[in-house]
Amino acid sequence: MARTRAPIPQAITTASQDARSSDTSYMFAEMAVDAEPDRSGASAQSAVARLGEMSPDLRGCAILAADGHALAASGDAERWGSAGSALLAAADAAGDEPVTHLHVATEDGEAFALRHEGLAVVAVADRFTLASLMFFDMRAVLRDLIREAA
Amino acid sequence: MQKPQRTILGRVSAYADEATGFLRRRRMTRKPFARVYHPGGRSAAFSSETAEGRRLFAAAADLIDAAG
Repeated sequence: MARTRAPIPQAITTASQDARSSDTSYMFAEMAVDAEPDRSGASAQSAVARLGEMSPDLRGCAILAADGHALAASGDAERWGSAGSALLAAADAAGDEPVTHLHVATEDGEAFALRHEGLAVVAVADRFTLASLMFFDMRAVLRDLIREAA
Repeated sequence: MQKPQRTILGRVSAYADEATGFLRRRRMTRKPFARVYHPGGRSAAFSSETAEGRRLFAAAADLIDAAG
């Protein structure tokens, strides 16, 4: 004997779609308010790791927030934060306006710093690293980080 | 008459030798420098003899130490 079921009545979805647009706008409004970029923790740490993978000459790097503290670093974050912000401050003081990026080559290695949309990345690489490639990688990592956070 | 591939290989080899020589000369002659870049593409270089340069080199040395 064949078992039959009563047909399932089809729900009208138009009403629910309307409800979603009219009754849940406050949720999306809250999301917009809370959409402050998550520029800390895992995202910044993965950006540091990505820069290390992209640049074989890199010895270490850190992502700095606008106030100068390190969001992530390949070593001691506090030390990277203070040293990186001091380098940027010295570069700002050398001219009449804040710098966008800088490159200092010494006998012991090369220091780079680059600012982008409120964040900065500082990096140390081996001698004779190609600066244009390093800046390209640093800029790409910061852009990705900001895009992920947005 | 040389085979065409020999000519091409010789030319590539000559370019590689030139590039190697350029890099070697660059390493020998390159001295420490500090260069900062401002919005709009303006840049400025500072030697270690200036006060600004000394501050930049000191800060960079501290950062390089942090990298270990």
